[in-house]
Amino acid sequence: MTSKKSTTSTQLWPATLLRARIGMWLPLVVVCALVIFFHMGSPAFLTLRNLSAVSGQASTLLLASTGATFVILMGSIDLSVGAITLLVGAVTVMLLRALGLGVSALLVGIMLGASFGMVNGLIFAFGAIPSFVVTLGSLSMYTGLAWQLLQGRALSLNSPAFENLAIGQSVPYFPNIALFALGAWLFMTFVCFKTRFGRYMYIIGGGESVARNAGIPVRRYKIFAFILSGAMAGLAGALAVARLGAAGPTLGTDLLLNTLAAIVVGGTSLSGGVGGVQRTLIGVLIITLLDNGLNLMDVNQYVQNVIKGAVVIAAVLISQDRRKLTVMK
Amino acid sequence: MADADAVLTVHNVSKRYADVFAVESISMAAPRNSVVGIVGENGAGKSTLFNIMSGLVRPDTGRIELNGREIRPANYREATLLGISRVFQEQALIPNIPVYENIVLSYEDRFVRWGQLLDIGRMVEVAERVVSAFGLDIDVRRRTSDYPFSIRQAIEIARACLVSQELLGIQYPIVLLDEPTSALGRGEEEAFFRLIAKIKQHGTVLFVSHRLSEVLAVSDIIYVLKDGHLIATVDPADATEHVLHGLMVGRERDADYYHEAEQLDVSEAPPVFSVAGLCKTGEYQDVALQVRRGEVLGIGGLLDSGKSALGKGASGVVAPDAGTVAVSGARPISPNLGHLVRRGLGYVPAERHTEGMIVDFSVAWNISLASGADLFSSRFGIWRRNREAEVAKHYVELLHIKASDIATVCSTLSGGNQQKVVLAKWLCRTPKVLILDNPTRGVDAGAKEELYRLIRELTGSGLGVLLITDDLLELIGLSNRVVIMQHGRVTAVVDAPPGAKPTERDLVALMVGANVTTEVSASPNRRTLH
Repeated sequence: MTSKKSTTSTQLWPATLLRARIGMWLPLVVVCALVIFFHMGSPAFLTLRNLSAVSGQASTLLLASTGATFVILMGSIDLSVGAITLLVGAVTVMLLRALGLGVSALLVGIMLGASFGMVNGLIFAFGAIPSFVVTLGSLSMYTGLAWQLLQGRALSLNSPAFENLAIGQSVPYFPNIALFALGAWLFMTFVCFKTRFGRYMYIIGGGESVARNAGIPVRRYKIFAFILSGAMAGLAGALAVARLGAAGPTLGTDLLLNTLAAIVVGGTSLSGGVGGVQRTLIGVLIITLLDNGLNLMDVNQYVQNVIKGAVVIAAVLISQDRRKLTVMK
Repeated sequence: MADADAVLTVHNVSKRYADVFAVESISMAAPRNSVVGIVGENGAGKSTLFNIMSGLVRPDTGRIELNGREIRPANYREATLLGISRVFQEQALIPNIPVYENIVLSYEDRFVRWGQLLDIGRMVEVAERVVSAFGLDIDVRRRTSDYPFSIRQAIEIARACLVSQELLGIQYPIVLLDEPTSALGRGEEEAFFRLIAKIKQHGTVLFVSHRLSEVLAVSDIIYVLKDGHLIATVDPADATEHVLHGLMVGRERDADYYHEAEQLDVSEAPPVFSVAGLCKTGEYQDVALQVRRGEVLGIGGLLDSGKSALGKGASGVVAPDAGTVAVSGARPISPNLGHLVRRGLGYVPAERHTEGMIVDFSVAWNISLASGADLFSSRFGIWRRNREAEVAKHYVELLHIKASDIATVCSTLSGGNQQKVVLAKWLCRTPKVLILDNPTRGVDAGAKEELYRLIRELTGSGLGVLLITDDLLELIGLSNRVVIMQHGRVTAVVDAPPGAKPTERDLVALMVGANVTTEVSASPNRRTLH
């Protein structure tokens, strides 16, 4: 009787499902392992001061990644997230200096980001060009524009109210930017699971032609996804300059790799239709903890890059069903 | 059976998939310097037979002999080395490389000199010999895509036929042609016939085609397959298209299987779906039809009739160039699936796994897939999970979908249950009309019967169905009326009331273009039964 039961239970979990299970829990296990490892490696790691710093660092990445997750979920890719963050950051600082917008600059940042995202979306959806190519191009355009605006220099801002949006601590040891990021992540998780928009992202990623054959306005939702991704990158850019007190030419450069790494390591599949925004938080934690912990352990910057890249590849190797990975759309 | 002339002989070959014989104890012989035609309906076993000959499929039993020696090609490569090459329906030439590279493709190792360098000069020389032996006046150094389809096809056939002679020293190459003319324009057929005559000089051709007139015109002997059996060997000299059709079809139709007794009389019913002036260049022209309330309107036609494209056009999946459709009494509109779905139309595509459903998603997610804009989301776009679960449960029970629960992933379901999920996707919207493209393809016989019963129940409650199908018996059994399409145009409408259904032969005659249906069936003395 018992043996019979065990055979049925193994049948219930064929290899692919087992893989899916591993994919679900592994990121969480990795976070715990990293915390233990870095705690042993550096006494400064598990201190309130450091964790407060980590939450600040993680926030920009989390903001940018939550939006981009939707694009990955529908089977496309957004490489321009970091560039939008940079461009919006630069424009926000200039507007703050020129017009003294104050807190409302945050809204301007979101709107700007959304419109840059919309440009991506329109070209992608109407031009029928792979999103990889569209956003690779706009990555270069937006970055170039930002550098042109900044003239290669860092522009500082002087707006305590705006800076307080990011570095103030409404909750002790927890910077406001982290509250924004967590709030945005919660909201986007809701959007992902509880709204039509979220469901359509899964459907388009799972089978675009199925969506078409069901009368779903695929093109419109593709554009929406890029607008959302851009808006979140814009929010990330505005809050990042508030946190740093300046916009410099290197703002957002690490986001290109880090957003994709966080999303994929979290468990959202590049083939589309699998994963979700909730997982991206874990991915962001892994990437940020790696950065922070390796710094504290005095590992040099170059080696850090090697380790981070290896972690991303390993995560995908273990968790994704590669038979389904086709050419990226 | 095996005569001395035969280059390729097949003895008692069988191949079974699960419980169904794809081919069963087939024996045939292909004589030297001849053209062998093989005809049969879809699913008769033609492709399986070719797959076995070209090493893509291993037969369960039986053997193949080439020049009297048994061969067992393990893959296509081995078959080509033995001198059996195949020209596939879709062209296998690489478009953006020169012609000569295509001609010697996969034989490059024979042109290597000094270790790794390719002897381009000799490649070109061989390629030139091959094309000129075929009477083709082309520059083999030019890009393959520079030449039109018919020339590219000739290149491919020349390659299949002569490269093995040229490079492998095969004396009598065998060329398997799989529907070679289906993509050819009418004017290009002449050239094709000349091509066949050319190959015949060099080797042996086995030729599969749906165009029976061509098979009759070029073949020296014709084998007729039906349901995996070789049922007749025909001498083309004293056969006609209708004789061949009579042999190919002629299956017994069971009226109960299609629930013909439940078919409604809809002659007085109002239309629920009207198509007017629908056109798409190269697909269908000026199509007008009306589906009445409670009616199954069947569309039949050959593969190139444009019937599937018409289904996509009428539903708005692929926008037509011109024309309108109207659901019920609503204003006629240019087809757009999103709009039509809101008005009560549903479309079930032929490709279930890639277009009908997302097999990695659950039953519930697939059922709710087409109703995200209204049934399953609130005004503010919030998804209604509870309603989704309720509706999915309801349809799993109602349609007897065999799934442990609504979270079951669809890839684990059988074809029939998957198709029920696809239907539930539309039924939960209580549609007025459904367009079904080959709804029972890849579904076993028992599940087919269930789907037929379901279609009867639905039409009984007023649904109109536009049924596009390659299955003739299904077309006849289910339809109230049958529309016949030919080359993108509606050429006939046949009434099919219960008790007075048209026969397969009647419909096929209309599909292939004969205007009379009075042809007699094959007389027994013309058959060589096995």
